[in-house]
Amino acid sequence: MEPVIRVENLTYAYPTSRDFVLRNVSFEVHRGEVLAVIGPNGAGKSTLLKALNGLVPHFYGGKYGGRVVVAGYEVLKTPISVLSTKVGFVFQDPEDQMSGLALTVWEEVAFGLMMLGFPREEIPKRVEEALSYVGLKGLEARSPFELSGGQMQRLAIATVLALKPEILVLDEPTAQLDPLGKFEVLSVVKRLADEGATIVIAEHEIEEIAYFADKILLLDRGQVVAYGPAREVLASVEELKSRGVDPPSVTELAYLLSRDLGVKVPAPITLEEGVESFSKLLGGAGGA
Amino acid sequence: MPIGASLLKKTAVEADTFVQRLDGRVKFLYFIWASVLVYVFYDPVLNLVLLAATLLLAAHAKAAKPILITLLVIIVPWILFAVPILSLPLGFPWNKTVIGYIELFGRKYPVYLEGFGWGLTWPLRIAVAIASALLFFLTTNQAKLAATLFKLKFPFKVIYAVIATLQFIPLLAAEAETIIQAQTARGLRTEASVLQRIRNYLAVIIPLTLSSLNKVQVRAIALESRGFSAPVRKTLIYEARLSAADYLFLGGMLLATLLLAWVYVNIGYSPISKLPWVWAG
Repeated sequence: MEPVIRVENLTYAYPTSRDFVLRNVSFEVHRGEVLAVIGPNGAGKSTLLKALNGLVPHFYGGKYGGRVVVAGYEVLKTPISVLSTKVGFVFQDPEDQMSGLALTVWEEVAFGLMMLGFPREEIPKRVEEALSYVGLKGLEARSPFELSGGQMQRLAIATVLALKPEILVLDEPTAQLDPLGKFEVLSVVKRLADEGATIVIAEHEIEEIAYFADKILLLDRGQVVAYGPAREVLASVEELKSRGVDPPSVTELAYLLSRDLGVKVPAPITLEEGVESFSKLLGGAGGA
Repeated sequence: MPIGASLLKKTAVEADTFVQRLDGRVKFLYFIWASVLVYVFYDPVLNLVLLAATLLLAAHAKAAKPILITLLVIIVPWILFAVPILSLPLGFPWNKTVIGYIELFGRKYPVYLEGFGWGLTWPLRIAVAIASALLFFLTTNQAKLAATLFKLKFPFKVIYAVIATLQFIPLLAAEAETIIQAQTARGLRTEASVLQRIRNYLAVIIPLTLSSLNKVQVRAIALESRGFSAPVRKTLIYEARLSAADYLFLGGMLLATLLLAWVYVNIGYSPISKLPWVWAG
């Protein structure tokens, strides 16, 4: 199957950065796949994501090498305005992506559709669809700035969903949120993933990623240090820890059991899997 | 969080009166109409009449305060400055008709009608233009304002610039407030000598400038990735359509125009104050 995103040897430096921020990054995302980009702060996650909708290099400028093809468009040769119809981008701080032109939640979602010239009859339909998807129905008439963090970020996701992009890119969408906000936003992301959306997400909540990521890319100092199926990457506990990334606790426990006690457990990555494998282990030890 | 809420509220006055419901184009036309009229005529009394009419509309729409403040800052000092300079024998070249004398430092000076009229008419002309323009901006909801400007065939980037500017000032004020509080909490002294205070304000202005630049860039990025500069015809959700009230208002303007045209032809360009002609008057 033809990948929707193909990144080949992407190397990039901002005009202001002394060193390359991305070095020889390569990966592919297929339709319906969820790729999580993880790594310590300053690893280049945001920059990598911005290379997918053309902000890198079109907005920032800088030194650019390699090739990024998204939905059939070569990013280097395609303006952001065209890519914005294919790639929906959700930023870290929800307040940053409010247009400032909209007085209400409803208008905020309509804004992107207006900008891209959707027919007037279609806009209300799409706005309502998007708002009910993220669970903001009933708040249409509120000012976007009166929402809680989690609500505002879900609004940001709705503004993107209304455009029905082929690819959804989320740049640490929960970094600025309280635990409830995180939960609200990740539930929406998880549901999108379950329903077959193509998603690239940078995220610190490793425990949560395990539930919906198909593949994981571990980035450190601009380089890909691990890339593969989520289970494989999360199970490389030592590698993750050496890069300053905490693996899911259950995975780490399984790793420690095996390293220190020689007990072999199939490495779980989610809490449910953990409960299952450790119960089996305990049950087995008790001879029941 | 409340920064944003208040900034959006401050720009369009949140009331729902006849003035707010008027179509943006009608209010825009009123602004152009009033500004042209006060220019065609040369009569400070007529200017005052139009200014009063505009302020009455603004008061009805609960938007008089910001307009009055603006006029107080710009127009009042201007008149206080221009009238004495122009009406006293200080070189205004069209001064001819003496309307009285004023005693200053034991000497009598003549006061001229030409300079007096000029010094009063021009600021009041600008006052009418400012008041009617602000009436338009303050009573037109932003989305409708965008729709109006769009209908008037303004380029979209200009429209955004207009609306973003309206938001920028309160945003800047709110940001400054936050920075002042933060710096005060870290020991910035606000009760000091004037000189010291001016120096202290550098500690506010520098971070304010930097953070504003940052914000502008972030916003530009967000807008760009939402298709702001997509090369398509934008859709606007608000259809600007004229209502009965709009037609009534337009009718009133038409009647006033006819009446004033008659006045202009039969009485002259200075019907009430009867000012003599001066260049650029």
